[in-house]
Amino acid sequence: MLIPCPYCGPRDLSEFTYQGDATRVRPDPGSTDQAAWNAYVYDRVNTAGDHSEFWQHSGGCRAHLRIVRSTLTHEVKSVAYARDSIHERSRA
Amino acid sequence: MVEIVSALEPVYRRGAHGNRDGGSAITLWETQPGSIVQVTSWPGKEGAALAAINAAASLDVTADAGAGVFSDTRSAFGFAPGRWLMVDQAEGMGDTLRDRIDTQTGTVTDLSHGRTAIAIEGERAEWVLSKLFALDFSLAAFPVSVGKSTAHHEFFTLIQRTATDRFDLYVYRSFARSFWQLLCTSAEEVGYTVD
Amino acid sequence: MTAHRTQRGGRIDRSRIIRFTFDGTAMSGHSGDTLASALMANGISVVGRSFKYHRPRGIFAAGIDEPNALVTVIRGKLREPNVPATQIEIYDGLTVESQNRFPSLSFDVGAINGLAGNLFAAGFYYKTFMGPVVGPLKGTRFWMFCEQFIRRAAGLGRAGYEADTDRYEKMFAFCDVLVVGSGPAGLAAAQRAAAEGKRVILAEQDGTLGGALRWRSATIDGQPAAEWLDTTEAELRAAGNVTILPRTTVWGYYDDNQFAALERVTDHKSAPAIGEPRHRQWTIRAKDVVLATGAFERPIVFPGNDRPGILLAGAAARYAAQFGTLPGRRVAIFTNNDSAYEAAVALRDAGAEIAAIVDLRAGISPAARDLARQAGGELLLGHAVTNAGGTKRLREIDVQPFAGGTITDRGKRSIVVDCLAVSGGWSPAIHLASQAGAAPVWDEALQAFLPPAPSQRWTGAGAFAGKFSTADALGGEFEVDEAEIDYAPAPVFEIRPAKKSGKSFVDFQHDVTASDIRLANREGFQSVEHLKRYTTLGMATDQGKTSNVPGLAIMAAARGIPISQAGTTRFRPPFSAVSIGSLAADTHGHFKPERLTPMHDWHMQHGARMYSAGLWYRPMIYGAGGETIEQAYVREAAAVRESVGIVDVSTLGKIAVQGPDAGAFLDRVYTNMFSTLPVMKARYGLMLREEGIAFDDGTTWRLGEHEFLMTTTTANAGKVMQHLEYYLDCVWPDLRVHVTSVTDEWAGGAVAGPNARKVLEVCVDGTALDNDALPFMGIVRGEIAGAPVLICRLSFSGELAYEVYCGAGHGTHVWDALMAAGKPFAITPYGLEALGTLRIEKGHVTGAEIDGRTSPRDLYLDWMLSKKKPYIGSAMVDREGLVAEDRVRLVGIVSLDDRPLNGGAHIVERLEDEPRDSIGHITAVCYSPALGKYIGLALVKGGKTRHGQRAHISDPLRNRFGPVEIVSHHFFDPEGSRMHG
Repeated sequence: MLIPCPYCGPRDLSEFTYQGDATRVRPDPGSTDQAAWNAYVYDRVNTAGDHSEFWQHSGGCRAHLRIVRSTLTHEVKSVAYARDSIHERSRA
Repeated sequence: MVEIVSALEPVYRRGAHGNRDGGSAITLWETQPGSIVQVTSWPGKEGAALAAINAAASLDVTADAGAGVFSDTRSAFGFAPGRWLMVDQAEGMGDTLRDRIDTQTGTVTDLSHGRTAIAIEGERAEWVLSKLFALDFSLAAFPVSVGKSTAHHEFFTLIQRTATDRFDLYVYRSFARSFWQLLCTSAEEVGYTVD
Repeated sequence: MTAHRTQRGGRIDRSRIIRFTFDGTAMSGHSGDTLASALMANGISVVGRSFKYHRPRGIFAAGIDEPNALVTVIRGKLREPNVPATQIEIYDGLTVESQNRFPSLSFDVGAINGLAGNLFAAGFYYKTFMGPVVGPLKGTRFWMFCEQFIRRAAGLGRAGYEADTDRYEKMFAFCDVLVVGSGPAGLAAAQRAAAEGKRVILAEQDGTLGGALRWRSATIDGQPAAEWLDTTEAELRAAGNVTILPRTTVWGYYDDNQFAALERVTDHKSAPAIGEPRHRQWTIRAKDVVLATGAFERPIVFPGNDRPGILLAGAAARYAAQFGTLPGRRVAIFTNNDSAYEAAVALRDAGAEIAAIVDLRAGISPAARDLARQAGGELLLGHAVTNAGGTKRLREIDVQPFAGGTITDRGKRSIVVDCLAVSGGWSPAIHLASQAGAAPVWDEALQAFLPPAPSQRWTGAGAFAGKFSTADALGGEFEVDEAEIDYAPAPVFEIRPAKKSGKSFVDFQHDVTASDIRLANREGFQSVEHLKRYTTLGMATDQGKTSNVPGLAIMAAARGIPISQAGTTRFRPPFSAVSIGSLAADTHGHFKPERLTPMHDWHMQHGARMYSAGLWYRPMIYGAGGETIEQAYVREAAAVRESVGIVDVSTLGKIAVQGPDAGAFLDRVYTNMFSTLPVMKARYGLMLREEGIAFDDGTTWRLGEHEFLMTTTTANAGKVMQHLEYYLDCVWPDLRVHVTSVTDEWAGGAVAGPNARKVLEVCVDGTALDNDALPFMGIVRGEIAGAPVLICRLSFSGELAYEVYCGAGHGTHVWDALMAAGKPFAITPYGLEALGTLRIEKGHVTGAEIDGRTSPRDLYLDWMLSKKKPYIGSAMVDREGLVAEDRVRLVGIVSLDDRPLNGGAHIVERLEDEPRDSIGHITAVCYSPALGKYIGLALVKGGKTRHGQRAHISDPLRNRFGPVEIVSHHFFDPEGSRMHG
């Protein structure tokens, strides 16, 4: 599988580290809502199809990427720097 | 100043090695720069950071991904978003850059002791490096002066192409001896000279 | 010249004699021979014994599809079993042994299995060894006793026990077009791509290019095929943009057009050149790929179809035309399609006598009729071979009229032959296309599975795509003159005489017969996946290259359904056998990456015994003449407590945390506060994971307003770095903080002991070191022997101690200066064992206690949990489960029987308790010179509440039981007066 790093270009999977589900949103740091934290830390949907996830180009530029990938075909549908997509989400 | 001792010393064997049938198809040597410095800019401050690097080193690096330049004594290239490596044969470049890059622009990290610089030059340089890295080393895909970051297993490596047949590699010092031995082993087949 | 070598012809170099050994007998062949062709030329008809029945078997194919002729190649002490003789290019000194025979090939004791008949039919193991043993053998280990013998009787080659000393290598390659296969289709595709200026890789599994052009007769653009091949190969070699990889099998097709290919670099050589690997494992990334992998010929299933001397017709033609070797002198052909007629002519041209051509079809094409005339011999249309006789060599075949699927006894006759060339049609080698994704498509006319529509960027060419003629394989732009034969076979896969007359083999390598398949059907194992597992059809090393389609056809017939509905299994990598060495390549043995500290050579020169800690190498002890490990670390630890010692701490993870928000970031990352830490001060910090479990600890030094130097444990350095990067990128991208690994930038030595300050005072310039200038947790900059250093007063040992950091390239220089300065105080270098002893005496935790399960409270580190701010883990650290009373918590333990303790041993309340009554376990142990006892740290239910209680260790694995006392983990100087003094 190849991942098209926005900085380095398409690179082999072996240069990347999976860094988890990118759809979850961390509760407010001061929140003591145990249900919300529990969901954030433990609950995952096992999507069959397009899935948004973080990958770090750990064997390259080390940037975290937000990737939409089909779990059925491994096709990478979109790639962006994670920090940019977080900024977008906080603006929205 | 106290000399920086090479991490390769006991395994650095000058001379010709490996298969001698066709002479040496590559030459390997440690370039031992005095300064290896990382500059990292804040998002949006890439231009200011580059301007500082270029002014400090009299170079002309552009903001494109992986863009780099080099002269006889210095080189610089981007290897990650907003990150550049600046290499100088002379010591002291860390302080020079720290003076030019303020907190609002970015940060400077001196890696002069922490990275070992190895040059590989010759007609089979691409072939030997292709044994270690999942990168396309052809000139079209990896033009002269461009930098890339990659890894061979645990060996994180920054690579800048400094001629059609030469690459400069920057590896972590603690791994350098092990990496050097692997590089030499990989080069045995084509014959190599350590300079 | 041997009896089976032709007078002339073939692509072998008759002027070069190659000598090799088969089963201890010296033989010779020519350059260009495979082991199979050389054995055939030497008149060897039996090359192995079959898997279950030990039937004598001969060479059946000429390529990778060979099911019978598997041999063991011996190189020095190394044995490589199960190599197809058809894939071995002979070289001087080649030594091979046949397999699965005892005591010899010609006389084999195991052949008795063949007489036992159906005893070893499909499902034998399941039926025989399931369920209880009854009767007089009840309660014995009878089944296991039997199994030993059966396992020895069934099998292929035997692997050696020696470590593989050969060298293997990996290689990455990139291209515009990867062409797999160098037959006419592959060569033409490579030629076209090269002409367009594309970067081309042409991979060929054999040692020479050309595929069928090496043995089939055709004229291309006025040149004989073989000449056209040589011209084209020369052109491709001269083009600058084509890489030709002979002896390279593309065995895996992965996502995004990535391919795995194995190049056998030196297997055809007597000895490798300097630096040459035996195998090279290629990872090829191709924009486009042309699959020109050809096709495999299928056998026809009939009684006795495995007799030595029976082989595939295409293989027979290849032996004759490419290798100048005859599989027999008097040959019959048995076919259901036209292609075997070409083989008949090739055999006849090479000097064989064609006795008969037996064709299942009543009518054949004019081209085939013409070829039959050229070949000579009797043409028996509408006939079938119904049996074959002879044990070690085919003697005769039975031929009977065959029409509409029925065999008639009238007209039955025997024909004396020593070779039968069989063709049951052709199966395109669609393995790579199947690996790439979609299911293959059954073609009724060709009676074969054709490749599916591409799911990745590939195109198919030649026989792979069902285009069997040379003209179709090359494509339109060539002028080709060849026999215009019909490749569509009669849809007949098995000849089944009414009277049972012997075993009909489908999978030769696993000895699966047609009746095994019908048995599977009767017993309900009908789906192709069940069939495969129940009978082991297609599961041998050849992965059913010749047997898959006939097996499926027989099952479909038994079920009364069309083959298209019977389904097929998906092919998975590898296409053919791949050496494990090539997959491991540079990640094993001395190629394994090693991390060395800047002072590594000094340690080695001073008698250090090294530990490997992850990839790092660290001194365990510095053995002084004749000491045991325990004596050495006790001496080293005692020296620290009494005077002064020095330890290399360069392996600690070091991360530069820089930027205006660095302090705020550390407040979120650590449980305690860092933004308030003054410049040039250090603080001990604890990190949790989100779920409130302890993650890592270490000291972090504030070197400037916006600059911190974080230290981590050696083991977690990489994980902590990734943790920080994740939060900066994915959670708090607004924070202006940069993190950089600077572990390798700094050499570190910890100088510890009551005389530590005195040692530094001798050698440090440029700074005062007294309590005011450098208090506990203070930092100063200075110089040692001209090298800049950073000194932090902190203690892991509980003694007055300083960590001295300098540039890694100055490490040994500074270390030497410290050793010289410490000489008057008998400074003692100490290793990890002494370091561990000192920390156990102090009750400091490390990875053994921060084990991914313990919370800060379990480790009595709750004093570090800030109430003033949230931090990673703060929301979950007080969860019910993490504050439960029965959690295991940190304690100290003292051995009461004066015997050493073991890490990992369980602790129970009473001696008679079982390990399952465990109340906890030991995490770290040592002999404490300060206490004069064997002590340890442990995680025990109730923790502190058990202080002063007795318990027992229960360690049945190491047979160590005995009393211990549970005490505070602060064994030594609990007030910390020594390090503050």
